[in-house]
Amino acid sequence: MTTADHARLPTRQLLQPDLPAFDAATLDQRTRDALAELLLSMADDEFICGFWDSEWTGIAPLLEEDVAFSSLAQDEIGHARLLYEMVGRLTGEDADRLAFHRPPEAYHHARLLDHPRTDWAFSIARRWLYDTADAVRLAALARSSFRPLAEAVAKIRREERYHLMHLDAWMRRLAAHAGEPRARLESALRTLAPDSLTVFAPLAGEAVLTEAGVLAEPMAKLADRWLSEVGARLAEWGLPAMAESRPPADGRDHAQPAESFRWLWEEFTSVARLEEGVEW
Amino acid sequence: MADQQGALSEGRRDEAGRLGDGADPGVWEVFRQEKDGEPMRHAGNVRAPDRELALHYAREFYSRRQESVRLWVVQRNQISDLSDPDLLQPPLDRTFKKPGGYVLRDKLDAAKKRAKASARTQAADKE
Repeated sequence: MTTADHARLPTRQLLQPDLPAFDAATLDQRTRDALAELLLSMADDEFICGFWDSEWTGIAPLLEEDVAFSSLAQDEIGHARLLYEMVGRLTGEDADRLAFHRPPEAYHHARLLDHPRTDWAFSIARRWLYDTADAVRLAALARSSFRPLAEAVAKIRREERYHLMHLDAWMRRLAAHAGEPRARLESALRTLAPDSLTVFAPLAGEAVLTEAGVLAEPMAKLADRWLSEVGARLAEWGLPAMAESRPPADGRDHAQPAESFRWLWEEFTSVARLEEGVEW
Repeated sequence: MADQQGALSEGRRDEAGRLGDGADPGVWEVFRQEKDGEPMRHAGNVRAPDRELALHYAREFYSRRQESVRLWVVQRNQISDLSDPDLLQPPLDRTFKKPGGYVLRDKLDAAKKRAKASARTQAADKE
């Protein structure tokens, strides 16, 4: 099914108003490619994060949280959709193909999102690390010189406000309860710490984006801001500090996909792989 | 307070037992406002370990699809119940306290009947 065919489907038209209208031709080729790379890495982050967290549907610690956490996971998949659509406008690719029809090696999510769901404290810790990093990245993009991106990001940020509130509430709860909750949280943070800066892994076209003001600041600078923000919260909750380090250059490299991501990929592509080219 | 509450809720202890001091502290009643200017209406309840999560869950259950502009949560054990029928549904006639006691309907009906009757008489006279 071609992109043009997809565009004619009424359901897709109904689901599209979140994407601001824009003309990719207003950007030169270099900027367009660099922006597509950035947006695809962000879309993959949101998509993979959403899939891991949706695994809590039905088994969260209490019924209300089950609904809340599933809704957070759905929001991320919604953001991924918006970002994949934007990538599609830049490159001519189809959003569904980007989401469900790439081999695991071709995804660009941060390695922080390779970790499996594990236990509740682990999922909360990972989501908190990711959402706070994403918030710093989104704040920089809200100041983008590329208006359609700044507008889309403004909408995403409004939803992320609640995500951050909810994750903060859980981090505080787990940190405040000595014994198993706090021990599990600390153990999760220890496991995740080495990968947490991968969200800010340098991008090939980063210089082009910062030069054009599409990305207000380089990733390394965003990483520093995130470390200081997260450091302050951890200190406030009496949790161990994160080690200061640089975002790893290979933080989004999946030439050899992690076992856990391979498994998730099998899951989220299982329906799409049932019959190639089928119309849903 | 508990005694007083019990006395005021005479006859409806089932419901009263679920409110006030005897209530489950983990249950929060949720009120929602659908549009600006509209009253807050009881929406339902959520179970939550604290006030903060109660608000988050209220948001998930009662405004996830943008159906509210404002939400309130009240811990169920903070609600006082009054359901005593002696106080709320007194057995003696109270119609004199209601504006309905002065309705013109009956007088109006009587006047209409009289008017009709007199019109009929006049018509009969003409014939």
